Amino acid sequence: MTESFFLPDLLRILFTFVCAIVIVFGNAVVMGYLERKLAGRFQRRPGPMEIGWQGVLQLAVDGVKLVGKQLVIPAQSDKVLYRIAPIVSFAPAALPLLVIPFSPKLQGRDFDVGLLFILAIVAINVLAILIAGWGSNNKYSLLGAMRSVAQNVAYEIPMLLTLLSVIMVTNTFSLQGIVEAQERIWFVFLMPVAFIVFFIATLAETNRAPFDLPEAESELTAGFMTEYSGMGFSLFFMAEYTYMFIACSLTVILFLGGWHGPPLPYADYTSAIWFFLKVYFLLIVMIWIRWTFPRVRFDQLMNFCWKYLVPFSLVHLLVTAVVVKL
Amino acid sequence: MNTSTTQGNTHRYVLNMGPQHPSTHGVLRVILEMEGEYVVNPQPVLGYGHRMHEKMAESRSWAGFLPNTARMDYLAALVYNHGYVGVVERLAGIEPTPRAEYIRVITSELNRLQSHLLWLGVLVLDLGAFTPIMYTFEDREKILDILEDVTGSRLTYCYMRVGGVVNDIDDKFVERTRAYIEWQRSRMPMYEKLVTGNIIFRKRIEELGEFTPDLSRRYGVTGPVLRASGVPYDIRRAEPYSAYPEFDFEIPVEHGGDCMATYLVRVREIEQSLRILEQALDKLPEGPFRAKTPKKIKLPPGDASFAVESPRGELVYHMTADGSDIPYRLKIRVPSFSNLSIMPELCRGMLLSDVCACMGSLDLVIPEIDR
Amino acid sequence: MESRDSVIAALESLPATVREVDFKQRGYHLEVLLEPKRLRPFAELLRTGGFYLSFISGLHVRPAIEVSYQFANHDFPCRLVARVEVEKDNSLPTISDIFQGADWHERETKDFFGVIFRDHPNLEPLLLAEDMADLKPLLKSEKTLKDRSAVMRPEENEEEKPSADAAGGEGA
Repeated sequence: MTESFFLPDLLRILFTFVCAIVIVFGNAVVMGYLERKLAGRFQRRPGPMEIGWQGVLQLAVDGVKLVGKQLVIPAQSDKVLYRIAPIVSFAPAALPLLVIPFSPKLQGRDFDVGLLFILAIVAINVLAILIAGWGSNNKYSLLGAMRSVAQNVAYEIPMLLTLLSVIMVTNTFSLQGIVEAQERIWFVFLMPVAFIVFFIATLAETNRAPFDLPEAESELTAGFMTEYSGMGFSLFFMAEYTYMFIACSLTVILFLGGWHGPPLPYADYTSAIWFFLKVYFLLIVMIWIRWTFPRVRFDQLMNFCWKYLVPFSLVHLLVTAVVVKL
Repeated sequence: MNTSTTQGNTHRYVLNMGPQHPSTHGVLRVILEMEGEYVVNPQPVLGYGHRMHEKMAESRSWAGFLPNTARMDYLAALVYNHGYVGVVERLAGIEPTPRAEYIRVITSELNRLQSHLLWLGVLVLDLGAFTPIMYTFEDREKILDILEDVTGSRLTYCYMRVGGVVNDIDDKFVERTRAYIEWQRSRMPMYEKLVTGNIIFRKRIEELGEFTPDLSRRYGVTGPVLRASGVPYDIRRAEPYSAYPEFDFEIPVEHGGDCMATYLVRVREIEQSLRILEQALDKLPEGPFRAKTPKKIKLPPGDASFAVESPRGELVYHMTADGSDIPYRLKIRVPSFSNLSIMPELCRGMLLSDVCACMGSLDLVIPEIDR
Repeated sequence: MESRDSVIAALESLPATVREVDFKQRGYHLEVLLEPKRLRPFAELLRTGGFYLSFISGLHVRPAIEVSYQFANHDFPCRLVARVEVEKDNSLPTISDIFQGADWHERETKDFFGVIFRDHPNLEPLLLAEDMADLKPLLKSEKTLKDRSAVMRPEENEEEKPSADAAGGEGA
């Protein structure tokens, strides 16, 4: 769809790759700062204040600290699995950014099956958590990993079912196509239930509170990350924020009209502003939820999925099918 | 994985929780025999913070032991002070002045409030919500500031003396305490909305760890945990001491016996403590804040007990003296000791996360158990 | 049992020596002197009477270690202290099957005084470390050890002399 008329393909690939990496790291920094600053606001305290104006350089200092830290590898662990787990988690995180349409022209590649591509890549993270939990040879890690797998598998079902409703309306798996289909009305107004179900499932898929059972500090110390220090930890940390970014981007593309917004000059490129605004709005909502609610229990988490989300999304799918047919 | 084969069941494994674990609050260690996420047999292991206070009491004069009393339950140091000077006064036959009794009640109740506020934040933290603890610490900070002015310390107070207290309270103290009472009242509706009304919070602790009066008799459980099972037993009422008979306050009781009931009892106790404070400030008698006592008090032979209601339950000092100024034996009965001993029976068959919630609602202070 | 009088009557029929003391001076209402063989019936009686165990503690005096049990009641003010002298082999029957809370208190008393509680399911060190099982920190040295009568109120010493002798004679 987006013909490359001023850049040869190779350069274009290189350029998108660099952009994706910039987004991954930039997002981790912005989110790290936002999370701590907003948590501070919610808790009536200032948050980081020492390094730089209003503590903006705090994350840079933390990054240096994490890079400089010794990687402690537990003696009884499976050394190979222990080492590759953070890489397996972090490496695929940048890939979905290649197909996300930030604006009509700003997109690495518009696949016909872009949506499926993202879902497939994101699912690798579960594997990484399982590897980390098993490789650490720590019971807390293993419990966290077990929880993570069960949770991700369960919540993928309502997520996919609601996706299917959207696909039925748009008739395409192409992300650009889905955004363009929302030119007149955003899908959040057409299918509010699907939006809510999808957003809740997103929280669970990204292991965010109140569904952060795989890391559950007060129960499992740090869950699957218990044995990780230094860069091992920070790779998981960055991967988590990147997956949050991708999940929110997906929500924006599917329900909030993607890059649609009030017209801007050079809209082919500048409408990415609307996209980012919407994504960060959702991310802030996620942070807000995290600092407000307690954690659910494991059986409650599963019950909620199988007893409420799955039936809701099934009924929703049925209704959508009937409406589309009419 | 290190899979134990206890009772020939290969599905079971042993999970060691603590002594450094975020929800064992201090240095408690629990050995959990697990089946998946279910706890089959929790066994607490004590003694990591053991300092043998009872031996220290026998090796110095009774006055030299006063600072030790603050270092058992660091959240209710003034209540521990109170019990200790109480038992010495009872043995030596000394009457504290009325004003001193009022000041003791006021500071003890502030201490109780501070302990309950910390518990509230920590319980919710154990359930995975981070924000309420910051709010309760903001409230708690006000109490600590007030107490710091009059006692000189913020946590391990050594404020009470035989016959009275160290410093008199002044008008500024009264004024600040009144302002605090108003502030705390204005905050309670917020906790009601943020915590009590929170659906996830309720679902987590309702019908969890159900508890009967008979179970508490078998284990000697006291305090809010007992009152949550429907027994209106509070030492302040049952065996009134100090100036407590002069105040009008309720003993909050709930009937469920679950963690939610324990939670509600403690939250309602906050309001009752505020009521006691208010009345005590209104009726504060004039006069000396310390009775005239001999320079060196010798403890006459014999024994005496003194029971006080700590924020966690019944605290008893039992002192045996032989006529010198060094106690012959001092037994300290701490509430958390008995409250924790029900854990193996209460938490059997629970999920791991429920065990954390249950321990949080028992409100354990481990240095107090280990002494 | 609904009142202190009925408690006294029930305890005296055990039999046990029961004495009502001044709460203002002592902080408890009843003082009970027991023989070791009456300990378990005594505990069962209090269990059915709705009492709870407040604590178990020891006292190292001559001639033998004395273990005291403090009970109280939720329904009416009645705090009682029962004193039992340990038997010759430094042991007492356990009450941890009657009052489960006694389990830890007995382990603590074993830690500090070395008193053996017979038939206790798990008399391992509780507060002390495993390798400190023989420390018995609260035992007095020869120099500091006192007679039982030295830590009793003078007025009690007078009136209790005959019966204390009788109890001692029976134990030996």
